[in-house]
Amino acid sequence: MSSGVGVNPECLSAYQELKLGKKSKYIIFTLSKDNTEIVVEKTGPTSATYDDFVGDLPENEPRWAVYDFDYEKEDGGKRTKITFFSWSPDDAKIKQKMLFASSKDALRRSLVGIAAEIQGTDYSEVAHESVFEKVSRGA
Amino acid sequence: MVNYGGDEVSALVLDFGTSSLRAGYAGDDTPKAIIPTSFGFIEEPAEANGGDVTMGEAGATEGEQPQASKPKVKLYIGQNGPSLWRSGMQIGNPMQDSLIQNFDAIPPLISHALSEVMRCNASEHPVLVTEAAWNSPANRERMAEIMFEEFQVPAFYIANTGVLNAFAAGKGSALVIDVGHSTASVIPVVDGFVLRKGLMHCALPQLVHAHAKHLLTSPTPTRQGIQLIPHQLIASRTPVDAGVPPRFTLREDRRAGTTDSWRAWAENREVEEWIQSIGGVLPQGWNDSAATSQGSRHYEFPTGYNNYFTGVERYAVGEQYFAHSAQLMASNPNLPKTIPSLVTSSIGQCDLDLRQVLLGNVVLTGGGSLFAGFADRLANDMGRAFQHVKIHAPGNPTERRYGGWLGGSILASLGTFHQLWISKEEWQEHGRAIVGQRCK
Repeated sequence: MSSGVGVNPECLSAYQELKLGKKSKYIIFTLSKDNTEIVVEKTGPTSATYDDFVGDLPENEPRWAVYDFDYEKEDGGKRTKITFFSWSPDDAKIKQKMLFASSKDALRRSLVGIAAEIQGTDYSEVAHESVFEKVSRGA
Repeated sequence: MVNYGGDEVSALVLDFGTSSLRAGYAGDDTPKAIIPTSFGFIEEPAEANGGDVTMGEAGATEGEQPQASKPKVKLYIGQNGPSLWRSGMQIGNPMQDSLIQNFDAIPPLISHALSEVMRCNASEHPVLVTEAAWNSPANRERMAEIMFEEFQVPAFYIANTGVLNAFAAGKGSALVIDVGHSTASVIPVVDGFVLRKGLMHCALPQLVHAHAKHLLTSPTPTRQGIQLIPHQLIASRTPVDAGVPPRFTLREDRRAGTTDSWRAWAENREVEEWIQSIGGVLPQGWNDSAATSQGSRHYEFPTGYNNYFTGVERYAVGEQYFAHSAQLMASNPNLPKTIPSLVTSSIGQCDLDLRQVLLGNVVLTGGGSLFAGFADRLANDMGRAFQHVKIHAPGNPTERRYGGWLGGSILASLGTFHQLWISKEEWQEHGRAIVGQRCK
């Protein structure tokens, strides 16, 4: 079941730039003001850190985000995993939460090549360690 | 692409439960009409039907009267329906296992909620109806038929309460634990779809209820069995001290006209009220001394009988949700599963990859979960069995009781949801098959 919200083509091009062009580190998506389509809210430069990214997730509003997660394996091999975030803090308005939850699938399906997915409701769930643990599993 | 004008669609949302039917406008945060699903009916003496309930086809229900009556049966619906004593009135309930079994009573119930309580005309509003996750295709098609053919609604959608509860909590994937009036269920929802194989439900709340009734009516060393007599049958009573046999007089004039089903319904209400007033769940698992230390509480029944109920009695009732005594399990092999074992078997049916997502997003909902201490106990029990469990239990009782309705209310109020409604034209063109195609 979905809300029928559409995805702005801009989201796809921003994603392609992140995935293929490696021109950005993360993208934050939100709903347009009239709640009819998904748009890009912000893209983070390649120099941005994970903390910058988490800092851009608002405290009481839901968002989606894509983060180009990179880490080093114990044997020294470098890995990058594009991670999709559904950010839905408990304090967000119920209608917003519902809208974001029911529209997520539209966005998620249009982004090809996502390696991991995180559903977060508070900052501990999107902390670097817990995301790392999840992303690095099975890699 | 369809052009839609913002969020103003003024859709109606209908949520059927075993104890109540919730109806209201999409976009509101509480239902406008909450009426009991149980209804009273009196069979007209003209034709005896061998005790079998025939409601007749409640044909034209656009009418304003709540009792869409056929000559045979007169229905009494709503707040003044079953709860008013009437001579010869029996009580029926169309729900069984959280599914609608008796569709004959559904149109009068809906029409009462919409036209009597909300004073609106269903033919002017799109209607979103909720269904249990284990609803059958035939059942939902029948619902669509009722809405389109009898209520002439312009558009219709049927959505799953599990998914709606997950969405209302802001989660696309969640393990929804729904404890209702008659059924407890555990519904794994992944990306807005129910995982059928992990779907578990059982009649646990009914067992809790039966347990409480047994506890009250059977004598103990310190008190006699309590008579469950509803206030409708009591003429007068005099105050008595706690624990003393009650002094009251019955309404003899009503004795003959009271039916067995009304009596059973009224007694169940007494038990229900007792449970809701003073029942609870121990957060840390059963422990006699902890239960005793919770202290006793005072409760008075309609007969005037009043007593202090000890912590052990109060908490033994809620304990049934989480653990059954060995004695009970031995005497009844078909016991409904407890909540922890429902969760374990549900999780066991899901893919390994999904388990962590589901356990990290547990949504607790349903009126039955409002038991004092229920959420804490669930968190404790699940925390022992699994790792990284996070339970989302709305603190606001309205949000918890009407979670399914609320999710439906938000979904139906979205302008973008417009394109998913089944319109009347589509219904006329494609017929029943469209319900299964559209409402996934």
